[in-house]
Amino acid sequence: MVISPVHYIAVPLLAAFTMPLIAKVSKELARVIPGLVMMYLSFVSVVLMQQVIQSGPISEVIAGWQAPWGINLMFTPFSGFLATLMSFMGLLIWLYSFNFKKVDFSQSLKYQTLQMMMVTGATGIVLTGDIFNLFVFLEITAITAYSLTAFYRERDGAEAAFKYLLIGSFASVFVLLAIMLLYTQLGTLNMAEIAQKIQAGELSGTMKTTIFALFLIGFGIEAEMFPLNAWAPDAYSQAPGPIGAAFASIVVKAGVYALIRITFTLFDIQGAHMYLIIAGLVTMVIAEVSAVAQTNLKRMLAYSSIGQMGFVLIAFGIGTKEAVFGAIFLMFNHAIIKGLLFMTGSYLTFNDTNKQISSLRGFGKKLPLVSLLFAIGAFAIVGLPPFSGFWSKLYVLTAAGSKEMIMLILIILGVSVVEIIYYFRVVGKLYFSKEENDIEVQKPSINAMIPMVILGLVIVAVGIYPDLVTGFFERATDMLLDKAHYIEVVLTQNVVN
Amino acid sequence: MHSFDQVFTQYQDIVTTGVYGSAIGLIIIGLYAVLLKKNLTKIVIGLSIIDAGIHLLFVAIGYIQGGTAPIFSPGHEGEIQKMVDPVPQALVLTAIVIGFAVTAVALSLVIRLYKHHNTSNIDQIKSLKW
Amino acid sequence: MKKVFVLILLAVVGLYLSNTFNLISFGDNRVGEVVEETTTVSGYYLKETPTKSEVANVVTAIVVNYRGFDTLGEVTVLFLATTGLGSILFRRKEEEEGVERLSKPASSLVSTGSRILFPLVVLLGVYVFIHGHLTPGGGFQGGAIIATGFLLMLISYKNYKVSHSTLGWVESFAGISFVLIGFWGLISSHSFLQNIPQVGELNSLISGGVIPIIYIAVGFKVAAELTGVLDILLNIKPKK
Repeated sequence: MVISPVHYIAVPLLAAFTMPLIAKVSKELARVIPGLVMMYLSFVSVVLMQQVIQSGPISEVIAGWQAPWGINLMFTPFSGFLATLMSFMGLLIWLYSFNFKKVDFSQSLKYQTLQMMMVTGATGIVLTGDIFNLFVFLEITAITAYSLTAFYRERDGAEAAFKYLLIGSFASVFVLLAIMLLYTQLGTLNMAEIAQKIQAGELSGTMKTTIFALFLIGFGIEAEMFPLNAWAPDAYSQAPGPIGAAFASIVVKAGVYALIRITFTLFDIQGAHMYLIIAGLVTMVIAEVSAVAQTNLKRMLAYSSIGQMGFVLIAFGIGTKEAVFGAIFLMFNHAIIKGLLFMTGSYLTFNDTNKQISSLRGFGKKLPLVSLLFAIGAFAIVGLPPFSGFWSKLYVLTAAGSKEMIMLILIILGVSVVEIIYYFRVVGKLYFSKEENDIEVQKPSINAMIPMVILGLVIVAVGIYPDLVTGFFERATDMLLDKAHYIEVVLTQNVVN
Repeated sequence: MHSFDQVFTQYQDIVTTGVYGSAIGLIIIGLYAVLLKKNLTKIVIGLSIIDAGIHLLFVAIGYIQGGTAPIFSPGHEGEIQKMVDPVPQALVLTAIVIGFAVTAVALSLVIRLYKHHNTSNIDQIKSLKW
Repeated sequence: MKKVFVLILLAVVGLYLSNTFNLISFGDNRVGEVVEETTTVSGYYLKETPTKSEVANVVTAIVVNYRGFDTLGEVTVLFLATTGLGSILFRRKEEEEGVERLSKPASSLVSTGSRILFPLVVLLGVYVFIHGHLTPGGGFQGGAIIATGFLLMLISYKNYKVSHSTLGWVESFAGISFVLIGFWGLISSHSFLQNIPQVGELNSLISGGVIPIIYIAVGFKVAAELTGVLDILLNIKPKK
């Protein structure tokens, strides 16, 4: 059997359906299955990435029908990189949450299934080449996200999940309307063929703007664009710790990917780039300013995450090759750094139900390794060398400079100062406040320490030697900006039927 | 007795407005319920109504005048030119199931919220502040 | 004040949608030429299905074969909804005792009628999903009909129990068979979910290769899942 992109979807599905059956035989085995699946998918990622580097993007047809008549999966350098990132982060998050809720077994089984399916849904969004299939995977991701947000009984998870559900349903409605209108105008649902037909001018101006606006709103909700991100702070702060990490590093990336695919590959609208910059800027400024006012650690991290997504949108909006390269690098960094911050933040505030920052006094001595990793994450996300966040910020600022957007550079630097303020406030509490002796801490177990240490090492490694990843991102950038190549790979594939 | 075709061509505008108008009307009613109603269950019902409106719109755009069902039953194989568009029907099938799943999850959240806060009024369940 | 604002917003949205949709004329032939050269995707499906796939119902062929991946995703969505429901509502074993589904027993007309109708409804559902490739219908429709039959029994009888372990087995087996059929296609013809055995002629019960098999699995799965969801939602102990 050849290793192909469909394994990303089919293998976890098979595992999810068999897990209840295996659980009747052996409970321990059933809890290990998601980990095995993620390890296998990471291996598949490595194999496919090597293939992509050697021979270009892979397009795989499903059910034997050639591209516009059947669904196809596209493993380009950009989508492949995202799929790899999601598989690895999925593996690390599984490892981190392995002993989660060990007490009640049936709940833990459901938790593992939902978490694995969330990663699968996000991978499906990134890999598919068909727009209705994108909608189906969007719904898979959304439903698992709603259920996981409401997982804890004691907190306000149900309220956050309900809000998320309402806003998420609006996203689905907008995307469905857009798909509907697109289908009536062009008669096809395959993204490559849509791109080809739009390039040939088969879509009238008003329709084009309407459909693009509907897609923008629909995917903007998932990508946490302002003003559509009201669901995000609640959802991130009420969800269990590893799920918050999964939202930040996996789910929101899929939303941004969908937005970028629509903008860059499908449509070709003049004002779109300017709109992305403005939306990104507003998102970033408002989110970062709100983050300063937070006393709840997780909400602060959530607002910071939204701000970073705004930054990514700005970078994509600038549109030059350097800027897109910086944006892809930024997505990589954000996934790793935010994942680490959520994981460590979860342990730091384990025993405080309100997750207040003020309760973190002096944890530098009580939880030395965890605090150190949190500090690494904080320095990295603010953009200090020698951590990886520094390079991505540098590339984006350089790109903005080369297009002479001085105002933009000033605003970004100003926002960075704000970030420094609220992150260092936490780090300061960790290391420089007097210890209080009556607060208990939860020492993280081995399976939780390993992923955090791995992420920390990656941040330092990429920071010192960014060439580990930059060669790859350049290829991804080239492919993203090259619409004709995408269309050609999909539509000229010969399938023997 | 006029056939549907004749009626259709004569009153095309009215039929168009009627079909699209009722679907859009459903969406508007659902939107009204979601935005203005206070009871959680009514909000979920509003979501369901919005879904129904969208599905109706989807099926409506697949209609071809004078067309028949896209099934090659014995004796009707030759009618291939007059069949309606089968793709929106397939898409709506998927969309209906997805809408059902989301409604089920929403209702379970409503039950959880009711048990926790003892009320189904959304104004009284605002413990998550800014 | 908020009410006025929302009403204005609704009027704007309604007008905007109507204007957009009026640009799409109702009843226009958007499928294009079918008999000779096909230009749109629907034209291709209408032309190729009776010859290449030997399936009479084109919508079934689209749902299961051409866009089978979407159906797989949809089946997953149902499975996840059931799992999510289970995790949110957190049924413990203690809650099952003393759970009262109905406050008043149903009248004898309803209870007798349900007992008579139930096997007929299930039979209709099974018919619909077995003949999905020949007549309008299919796995989802048949499964929903069967679940309605169960709902009828659940609301007429206080102590009608649906065994959740049976439902779990049916669900898992049906899901596994769907994915395994896909893998069979991957192993034998290098394409996931490819339709392999080309048996039968148009309009006979055994036709269309693997399509009716998939739809039967889907029918069982949907029936099991919908019934499970209804049962969980109906068995919530009301707060005293």
